[in-house]
Amino acid sequence: MVKKILLFTLCLSLFYIPMGFAKSKIKIGLMCPQTGSWASEGIDMKKIVNLLAEDINKKGGVLGRKIEIIDEDDGGDPRTAALAANKLCTRGIVAVIGTYGSSVTEATQNIFNENKIIQIANGSTAIRLTEKGYKYFFRTCPRDDEQGRVAAKTIKKFGFKRVAILHDNTTYAKGLAEEAKQNLEKMGGVKIVFFDALTPGERDYTTILTKLQSKKPDVVFFTGYYPEAGLLLKQKKEMGWNVPFIGGDATNNPDLVKIAGLDAAKGFYFLSPPVPQDLDTPQAKAFLKAYQAKYHALPGSVWAVLSGDALLAIVKAIDGSKSTDPDKMAYYLHYKLKDMPGLTGKISFNEKGDRVGDLYRVYKVDDKGNFVLQPKD
Amino acid sequence: MELFFQQLTNGLAIGGIYALIALGYTMVYGVLKLINFAHGDLFTLGAYIGFTLLTSMNLIGKIGPLPTLFLFGIIIMGLVGIAGIVLERIAYRPLRSADRLAAVVSALGASIVISNSIMLIYGARFLVYPHHILPNFTINLLGMKIPFMRIAMLLLSIILMIILYLFVQKTRIGTAIRATAIDHGAARLMGIDVNKIISVVFFIGPALGGAAGFMVGLYYGQLNFMMGWMYGLKAFIAAVIGGIGNIPGAMLGGLLLGVIEALGAAYISTSWKDAIAFFVLIIILIVRPTGILGERVADKI
Repeated sequence: MVKKILLFTLCLSLFYIPMGFAKSKIKIGLMCPQTGSWASEGIDMKKIVNLLAEDINKKGGVLGRKIEIIDEDDGGDPRTAALAANKLCTRGIVAVIGTYGSSVTEATQNIFNENKIIQIANGSTAIRLTEKGYKYFFRTCPRDDEQGRVAAKTIKKFGFKRVAILHDNTTYAKGLAEEAKQNLEKMGGVKIVFFDALTPGERDYTTILTKLQSKKPDVVFFTGYYPEAGLLLKQKKEMGWNVPFIGGDATNNPDLVKIAGLDAAKGFYFLSPPVPQDLDTPQAKAFLKAYQAKYHALPGSVWAVLSGDALLAIVKAIDGSKSTDPDKMAYYLHYKLKDMPGLTGKISFNEKGDRVGDLYRVYKVDDKGNFVLQPKD
Repeated sequence: MELFFQQLTNGLAIGGIYALIALGYTMVYGVLKLINFAHGDLFTLGAYIGFTLLTSMNLIGKIGPLPTLFLFGIIIMGLVGIAGIVLERIAYRPLRSADRLAAVVSALGASIVISNSIMLIYGARFLVYPHHILPNFTINLLGMKIPFMRIAMLLLSIILMIILYLFVQKTRIGTAIRATAIDHGAARLMGIDVNKIISVVFFIGPALGGAAGFMVGLYYGQLNFMMGWMYGLKAFIAAVIGGIGNIPGAMLGGLLLGVIEALGAAYISTSWKDAIAFFVLIIILIVRPTGILGERVADKI
């Protein structure tokens, strides 16, 4: 009897599968760090992408089909990411969003490329990712060489003469530090008195600060991430050392002020693409309102928001090319997509898959701990 | 010369924390020959419990900051100690007679479980202790600026270590711990309840780790569920440098590691700081495989 019922169900299910396909959803992958030290970014990415997907589905989806987000945890680790990418490839996705760290994204690039899946990274700024000629790879974030140029220009503009550059030996931070150093040396008139790295994940950086202080720099440019930047600012203040600090875009996180304390954080400059809070576009405003209504907080960093832009670009490509064929979508993204209004401004890609336009702005932490956009030049 | 002394004090303050955590590794190793890789995460747990206590109970206004912190310190040590006992029951006792490697794998698993549970409960974002609980003024000593809290932290670590040393050397339970460390079977024949002694060790070690976590939280202010990994690793190295299984060795190893790191960063390179510390570890292991104070093999703890 049991066997008969099983057989019957099997027959039924076989019968229903083709019908299921006809109305199937369009599956879009999301690869993000939900565990590991970047978990806060990944969890925020998931929140933002799901929020936007719900909104798109409410408006009827795309090409008359709903979209479904399938997320995988990459753990912020290249090995886990490669596994996650392989798993996503078996789930029938047409495109994938992610991920945050450059070295993590790099481990997945050829997996997605071989499987002909469009990949749009949101936080991976390392230059070489788009220099490999992958046809299906894009990113909504800017590149490090762009940031290095803006950093050098900013330091020069402030008139600092003795510059200390501190990185944390990650692919991203070291690349940015070297980029800034080369640009500064090319411009001339600036002396680099210190160029070295700290170990991320520690709590005590007084040994490094003491050494920095002995080199008497006019300014310190730190290219690492916000947890270390916060501690550096706090411990520098405790030492009674009053030197201006400039941070790279990875310091753009509201937790920086919490970690450093208001007194120590004020006056800190950093470079970053503009956050939705500073944009006047209707897309940015509507997104912020929806995000706050659902999660009762502001989005953490600009990188997670850029994953939302990746989703919008994918949906636009499906809609514009009227298909989910990867070649048609890639063609659309490379050559047809122009100035799409996104959450972080207008979005277009060049033939390498890089986002077009100069995005970097200078921010300053004010007396109340707010990040204030500085006027451009 | 001023730079040298400034870095020396920086290193001693970091080393005090390493030493306090290293004690947990060394005590467990002494009794069970097991490296408790979950110890760093118990340290994290201490920091997080401290955060919960400080933000949920407003005692500071009622009884003043110092008594509050003292009371919270005791509560944290108790709770983390109990967590240590539970950890031993669940993750290590069932494997007592198994291969030693099995227990190490279990320890790594326990470490992942604890840190990810903390992430699920408290979230993945950085948490920050309330600011300005303790007065933090800077002392000017011979032209050096030393924040008062650093001196307090070092002193407190040393006091806790001295209490532990006296406890192990002078009390009946301490004698039983030393006996168990030498030989489980013989200790059992002498009427020592070995399981109970192991529980005591798993209470004391994590309790000290929890206290270190609370101190780190109070001073550096920043919490993250991954923070135990780095501290655990460094403390483990400290324990090996001093001679694992040996209590004064852990203290010496911790302080030494802190100072080596600070001076290495000052005079060679900050990015080579860890490499220098590991290099010293290798030299010590080549010259003295048992660690600096590790010669009394029979007297493990």
